[in-house]
Amino acid sequence: MTTQSRQDEAPSHDEAPQQSGPDLSSPLAASYYTDFSWMKRSRQWGTRAPRGPGGVTLDGINIGVYGDLPDNWDEPSRMPRGAYPVSGAVPLGPAFISQKSRQWADHAPHLYEESISRRWSTATDVPWETARDLPHDVELAMCQVATELSHIGSIEAEVVSSWLELLSYGFHEVKLCLSRQVFESARQFEGWRKRALLNVDQLGLESPGWANRMLLESRVGWTETCLALHVLRGSYLLTLLRYLAAYGPSEADRALAGGMVADKARHLAYGMEHSRYALGSEPDFRDSWNRALVGAEAAVNRDEDDHVLQEALAIVFGGGVRNMDQGMQLVRRMRRDWTRAYLARMNWIGLDRDPWLTPRMRENFEEPGTNGTADAAGEAAG
Amino acid sequence: MTTTASEPTASDPTTNGAASNGAQAEGPFDELMSFAQERGYKLDWLRKAEIWGSGEESDLSRGGLLLQDLAGSDPAEVPDKSDNLTGRPRGTQPRKVAPRVGNYRVRTKADIWLRNAAELYEEAVQRQWSSATDIPWHTLTELPDDIEAAECKLATFLTEIEFVAGDVPGRWISEITPEYFEPRMFLISQVVDEARHLDVFRKRALANGGGLLERNPRAGSDVFAGTIDSARDFTEMSAKLHISGEGSVLTIFRMGERMAYNDAEKMIYRLAASDEARHVAFGVMHLQYLGQAMPERREEIHSYLDEAERGLIAGTNQNPAANANPSNAALSVLLGGGKDKIEEGQQLALAMRQRQVKEYVQRVTVAGFGERFEEGRAAGELLRAYANA
Repeated sequence: MTTQSRQDEAPSHDEAPQQSGPDLSSPLAASYYTDFSWMKRSRQWGTRAPRGPGGVTLDGINIGVYGDLPDNWDEPSRMPRGAYPVSGAVPLGPAFISQKSRQWADHAPHLYEESISRRWSTATDVPWETARDLPHDVELAMCQVATELSHIGSIEAEVVSSWLELLSYGFHEVKLCLSRQVFESARQFEGWRKRALLNVDQLGLESPGWANRMLLESRVGWTETCLALHVLRGSYLLTLLRYLAAYGPSEADRALAGGMVADKARHLAYGMEHSRYALGSEPDFRDSWNRALVGAEAAVNRDEDDHVLQEALAIVFGGGVRNMDQGMQLVRRMRRDWTRAYLARMNWIGLDRDPWLTPRMRENFEEPGTNGTADAAGEAAG
Repeated sequence: MTTTASEPTASDPTTNGAASNGAQAEGPFDELMSFAQERGYKLDWLRKAEIWGSGEESDLSRGGLLLQDLAGSDPAEVPDKSDNLTGRPRGTQPRKVAPRVGNYRVRTKADIWLRNAAELYEEAVQRQWSSATDIPWHTLTELPDDIEAAECKLATFLTEIEFVAGDVPGRWISEITPEYFEPRMFLISQVVDEARHLDVFRKRALANGGGLLERNPRAGSDVFAGTIDSARDFTEMSAKLHISGEGSVLTIFRMGERMAYNDAEKMIYRLAASDEARHVAFGVMHLQYLGQAMPERREEIHSYLDEAERGLIAGTNQNPAANANPSNAALSVLLGGGKDKIEEGQQLALAMRQRQVKEYVQRVTVAGFGERFEEGRAAGELLRAYANA
């Protein structure tokens, strides 16, 4: 055999050689040991992935036949993309999501590698000792905020992991990228749990759960779930984490939130890129998505209107109960900020949400101090 | 500090109901509550905190703040059964209005628990590595065609089976109540470990001239019952995946030095073995816990191990160290040093096979099911024959 590149045409299953059964009694009699034709069954001998400054990357190995991404991945088994096929492979059973448009994002391999290169640990990368001896009201409020964020992280891990298996093996980059998302959602769970229990022996109230339910019960498709999870609720969470990274009561709180901002931004990046790709491939999605998002936004608003998290955030942002009015102004600004960012992202994806916004969603645009949902606080702030 | 925060109101915050303004100002904290409530805030969610920054603080000098050191981490405090249907993590205060979304299949502690899942999770986090930058790819040099083809054949096989090792634990994550979050967290760490293995073996196949070779001809051929993929019981899945399947792969990885031709390949096997050892440890420790907590299930577990062992012996396409499959031929070429030395390589592969079996027997024994090797269960006898061959 020479090392000359010999790009074989992808053989069909019918053409692929039949394998004989194993012969345990006489291993050497098996053809594999005397007939080395299996060594020639490479579709692209001579493949040498480039080694760049970032090492050998997932994107870098997408060369030649290994980078050919079909619009549909019809292989019903776990055959790696680009491997030499074999006849008689038994289908696995689950109905895989086979269309590229229903899972792909061009930068999924980059996001996967970035997630690994930016790996961090809540155990050792957060200066926990700086979060001691906070005022009691601030500590209890932070415990409540942390409890809800921890709960949300746990649910997100459930949501994404429940879809992982259904994604096609032909688009393994997406599976790998999403596996990191599950891991990072788990980090959100455990990091905030650590924060909640750092100084107090009990957790706060669970999240109201309306957005969690919307995401867990979404069975429309991965793309729609991704739109609601990453772009809608992700926009809300990203802004919340950014505010905590800025207004958190201790260096530990700010560092923890800051680390998660980077994680969440990657999730959002996948969600935006995938949604845009899906919509570009299937423009008919536009109306159905716009319609479905009304209900999804209502679920997020319902959680958002829960006074428990609002008040806890107001105490945290304001620096104590006595400064809740100022803190509540920041809560309202946060609402405005996430909603604006969300609509801008939807526009980038190709969805104009403006005609579809409910009056409740529009409330988020009201200037701080004019929102009627926390009257006393609003008046005081005004 | 030992101050205790007073319960703010007489109302029940779990209902999200209207605020009660009935709190009596008895101390600084109560004064704050009154101040806020007079301004229209409810604050009915503030709860009494019995321990407040007391001596329960974790020792942050020992590896930082670890999951296993938190309040409520004592296994004795973990409930034997869970009726938590809202998906709230253990210890979180429930709300009466929360919707029931957690139709979890695994709601019994014994079905999922082990004593050191949190430790294994934290170790996994600390030992994350990058296939892009932690492998000395520059040490890959052109290899003889037969060696390169054999490396790529094995890498193709490993890429494919890592799909299984990632997807199957992933499937269980959303099936386990977060009441038992420690094992769930471990399984999540396993999913990213397996993703990394898939990615590193694919990279190896495409980095040095060979490319992916033919896929495993019989992968997934046992689709009806009794397999890792089809298991509907977590312990059955774990015994077959973690102890039998990953245990066999761990042995191969640990002998990676014998079949590596450069530092890049040695590092791949070394790092992958470190991950795989955690996965095997999870399976052993879970089986040990279940065997002790639910002795009434021991015979059932033995029957799963019977199937796993039959797979170890006869399911040759799933194990490159077993005779008579193309992956074994590739392994033998690598161990022998070329296709012209394949018989020599087969002897080394046989030694690897014996080590697989011995380690399997040891793990099952540590898990508390060693009697199967003394009681003459057929597969056990067969394994012993292999181990002593």
